[in-house]
Amino acid sequence: MNAPQTSTQLEQQPYTRQEMMAIATGRELHDGELAIFGVGLSMLAGYFAQAHHAPRLRSMTEGGVYGATPVGGLPWGIECNRISANATSFTNAIDALGFLVASGRCDVGIIGAAQVDKFGNVNTTGIWDGDIGDSYRLPKTRLTGAGGANDIACGAGRVVIMVTHEPKRFADKVSYISSPGYLDGGAARERYGFVGGGPSAIVTTLGILRPDPVTKEFFLDAYYAFSSVEEIRAATGWDLKVSPNVRVVPEPTQEELAALRQVDATGALRKR
Amino acid sequence: MSQQKLITLAEAVRRYTHDGIQYASGAALPVGSDAVVFGRELLRQGRKNLHAIFHCNTQQLNLLAGAGAVTKAECGFSGLEVFGFANGLRRAVESGQTALEDYSNLAMALRLLGGALNWPFVPATVNIGSDIQHRSAFAPDDYPAKSKIPTVTDPFSGREIGAFSPLRPEVAAIHVSLADPLGNAILLGTEWSRFELARAAQKVVLIADAIVDTDCMRQYPNLVRIPDVIVDAVVYHPFAAWPQSSPGFYDADEAHMKSMNKSLSSVEGTADYLREHVTGIDDIDAYLDNIGRDKVAELSDTATAFLLAPFRQWIKTPAEVAALLAETTEETAA
Repeated sequence: MNAPQTSTQLEQQPYTRQEMMAIATGRELHDGELAIFGVGLSMLAGYFAQAHHAPRLRSMTEGGVYGATPVGGLPWGIECNRISANATSFTNAIDALGFLVASGRCDVGIIGAAQVDKFGNVNTTGIWDGDIGDSYRLPKTRLTGAGGANDIACGAGRVVIMVTHEPKRFADKVSYISSPGYLDGGAARERYGFVGGGPSAIVTTLGILRPDPVTKEFFLDAYYAFSSVEEIRAATGWDLKVSPNVRVVPEPTQEELAALRQVDATGALRKR
Repeated sequence: MSQQKLITLAEAVRRYTHDGIQYASGAALPVGSDAVVFGRELLRQGRKNLHAIFHCNTQQLNLLAGAGAVTKAECGFSGLEVFGFANGLRRAVESGQTALEDYSNLAMALRLLGGALNWPFVPATVNIGSDIQHRSAFAPDDYPAKSKIPTVTDPFSGREIGAFSPLRPEVAAIHVSLADPLGNAILLGTEWSRFELARAAQKVVLIADAIVDTDCMRQYPNLVRIPDVIVDAVVYHPFAAWPQSSPGFYDADEAHMKSMNKSLSSVEGTADYLREHVTGIDDIDAYLDNIGRDKVAELSDTATAFLLAPFRQWIKTPAEVAALLAETTEETAA
C-alpha cells in the first residue's frame, strides 16, 4: 500500500534531492562574485550561497532587483514582492541583462532547463515530435521560451545549469536551442564571439556534469551519496562518459541545510 | 502648458485601440506589474486579431490569447515564472491560433530601445547562434530565418553579429504605481522596460494604481521616469495588475494566479473565467467587489507597503479622482 508519508517520516529524511541540487549549485558560487539568478529554484540556490558561504556575493536578478534577500519563501519571480521588500536598488532589463551581463561584467549565472544536451545547450521553448525540420512548425508542447537565460548563456563568465535528472530532459541533441551551451561542441561558440565562457557545470538531482576542455561534451564528474554512476547513466539520453576520477559530492552539512531552509522558508525544495 | 489627461478605462480602450492593432503592454512582467485590467477591457469591448508586443507573457496576454483575441505575439518569456506555463497562451500557440515569435528578455528591451531612438536596427550579440535566430514563427519557411535576426557584419571588427528589428507599437498601456493627472509617473519595483516602451510606443496610456498631486513629482523629479510630455492618457485603476503584484500596493494573489491559469487551459474554463471575472465588470467598485473586499484588504497588507510611505501624503482619494475625471470630461465636451 502506498500510504502518504507522515510528517515524522519526512522529518527523518535528512534532505531531499532538490535540496542537494540547490546546495551543490550554491557551492559553485564564490564570495565576491557578481552573480545573476534566473527564476525559481536557481534563485534559492543563489540566495543560499549568499546566506551560507558567500556573504559578499554581489547578486541581482534579471529583473534588475539588487541587494535583496527573499522574504516569505521562494520568490514567485525575478520581480516579485518577496524580493522587492528589502532591495537596495530597482533598475531595469537593459541594466541587469545588458550593462551587467552582455557587457561581460557578470561572473556567473544560474539558469534552469526543460531539456539539456551533451554540449550544454538548453531548450526551454518547446517539445516537438522528432526534428523540427527545415521550416518552423508548431510544437507539440509549448514551454516558457528563453526569457533572460539566452542572454545569461551568451554573456555570463560562466553558467551553471540546474535541471532535474530524467532521460527525457537529457537529450543527445535538444530539439530547439533556446540558450546556447557549446552548440555543436569544440570551438563552435567562437563563431559568435560570445563574451561569456559557456556552461561550467550541469548540476542535477543526481550529480554534477562538467564539459571536456576540448570537445566540450559533458561528462559525469560527481554523484551524490544517494545516487550512483549507473543510475545517472541510465537517466541520461546520451552515452554519458564518466570521469576516471569520478567522486562523491560531500553531503550537505547542518549549516548548509539550515541556511538553505532559511531562504526556502515555504519548503519549495522539500515537496518532492 | 500640460493638460490633465485622466480618462476612464473604457474610454481609453475605445479611443486608443482597434481590431488588429499592434498593442504593447507594460511592464509585462509575469508576476509583478502589468496593466492586466486593460486586457480585461479589451475583451469587454470585443477587440480581436491583436498583435501583442509583450516583453514577457503576463496574465493579461495569457487571458487575451486564451480568449482567442491574439493573432500574433512577440515575447522574451512566455511562462508565468514559478506559477508555471501560461496555459491560455500555450493553448493558443499549440493550436496555431497565435503565432508566437520568440526573442530573449534582453532582446525585447533592446528592440524597444531601438524603436525609441528611431534606429534602423539594433546590434545583436545575444540570441545569435541559437534557434531564436534561425527559426521564425512569423516566417515559418524562412530557414535559417533571414527576416528575424539577420546576420550583419560589425563594420569595425569584421565580426558577424545579428540585427534586431526595432519596435514601435501603435499603443502601449503601461502599468505604473503613481501618476499625476498630467501623465508624470513613478514606478515602484523594477521598471523592466517601461522607460524604453514609453518612448517607443506611438501612443501611451498609463494605468495607475493611484493618482497623486503634481507636487509629488516636483518633490521626486529624479524618480519620474515617464514624463507627461510623452503620455496621451492616464487611467486611474486600483489593483490594475491583479492577480499580479504591485510593489508598495499589493501582493500577488497566489490562489487567483493559479485558478485563473487553470481556467485558461481549456475553452470552457476560459468562457467561465470571462463570465465570472470579466464580462459586465465595468467600473472600479464592481471590480473590487469581484476580487472580494476581504481579499483586497489581505493583499494590501504587503511587506512592501513601506515603499509607498514617502508618497502617501499626495495620493488622491477616489472621490478626488472622480472630481478630476469629471473636469476632463467637461473639457472634452466643451
